[in-house]
Amino acid sequence: MNVVPPALARLIDDLARLPGIGRKTATRLALHILRRPAAEAHELANDLANLHETISLCSNCFAFSESDPCAICGDPGRDGALICVVEGPADLMAIEKVASFKGRYHILHGVLSPMDGVGPAEIRVDALLKRVRMQGVEEVLIATSSTVPGEATAAYLAGRLQGLPVAVSRLACGIPMGMDIKYADELTLSRAIESRKPAA
Amino acid sequence: MKSGRTPAVVIGVRSYGESDKIVIFYSRKRGRLSGIAKGAHRSMKRFVNKLELFSHLEILYTESRSSSLVRIDQAELTDPFPLIRANYARFAAASLVSELIFHWTRENDPDPRIFKLLLWTLTSLENLKQPPAWTAILFNIKLLTLLGYKPALTGCAECTSLAPGSGPYLFSPGRNGLLCRGCATPADSAAPEAGPELPFSLRTARLLQKAQELPLGKLDRLRFSPAATKEALAILKIYGNSLLQREISSWDFIVR
Ligand SMILES: [Zn+2]
Ligand SMILES: [Zn+2]
Repeated sequence: MNVVPPALARLIDDLARLPGIGRKTATRLALHILRRPAAEAHELANDLANLHETISLCSNCFAFSESDPCAICGDPGRDGALICVVEGPADLMAIEKVASFKGRYHILHGVLSPMDGVGPAEIRVDALLKRVRMQGVEEVLIATSSTVPGEATAAYLAGRLQGLPVAVSRLACGIPMGMDIKYADELTLSRAIESRKPAA
Repeated sequence: MKSGRTPAVVIGVRSYGESDKIVIFYSRKRGRLSGIAKGAHRSMKRFVNKLELFSHLEILYTESRSSSLVRIDQAELTDPFPLIRANYARFAAASLVSELIFHWTRENDPDPRIFKLLLWTLTSLENLKQPPAWTAILFNIKLLTLLGYKPALTGCAECTSLAPGSGPYLFSPGRNGLLCRGCATPADSAAPEAGPELPFSLRTARLLQKAQELPLGKLDRLRFSPAATKEALAILKIYGNSLLQREISSWDFIVR
């Protein structure tokens, strides 16, 4: 006999499809929603229902946005000559949080991953090259991860940008804050030495 | 619980939850091996930067009673092959190699010759002794030979003839090798499960035959013309996909 009412079971199934959420967590979340006032559940349902209708991709940088261009591309205070290339929207949000970056972004929505069928055509490289040619861009800062696919993507982009009148830089990689250098592997340590800066 | 230690190469990595990683290795002592690295995204001491694609490691692991997934306790970097990731053509070739090893091998079924071939391939890509596409061709020929699927290249797979007048030759995945004009019947091409037959020059066939025979250390003597590279890649893709009964994604990204 199934003791879970069908409506609750459906919600648990839906939630369990989200990344990082197992059945146990999904059940806990569903019961939590059920115990809270109905108004809260309606608000959540509304937000979910409106997501795809109100948010689309900025046609310039491909960030998720309610307007086109997005708030960053439309802000005259941001430096259009500097573009920071990131893998995904979460990376943009992480960089925006530190508030020291005043340029604009370009969101690839992925990294090169032949095993997953993702090649240059799937990650908006042509749109980046078009921006560089048309928008007076002076510097492209490549801020993909320091994983192997992130590094390969950075190398590929640097190759495609070669020959265009633009400076290409890569996010410096080195010893993470709080790390004892004797635990650093050779690769991290050699990158940190390569990207060293004057101490004063 | 039983623990073990083996040299291994990372052929796949996936994030698992917020802080763990699932890593797939091809190892010398266990063959394909999948493990979970707890706290791989957070732990600075144990795993930082080590459990990365194509890295050659020495791993310490503990078997799990309930699943085939081992727990990775420690990893020591033998060689991260840092130049493979610095070039798209090398990265694409190494991705193909990893994907093929994943689909052609099984857990608990080690083959030290395949492990050796994998290290030879990554070293060739790292040192760029030859274009990455050539390395991909040589890896495929050697792997198929080790697996017992050596294609017939010394003569027509049906009548064994190898007279230049019997050309143009075709490569038939369904009949595991070369086919002369006389033996390639329209019925063959009409059998879709056998895959399409491809034009195949005798020169490319001889080159691949040499690659089958030469030891790994001497493979860098072989030279592939642009036409031979294109032909060899095409037949190895169709032949491998037809044997595996699946499409290998990385084939489409090999830079010729
Ligand atoms: Zn924008
Ligand atoms: Zn024949």
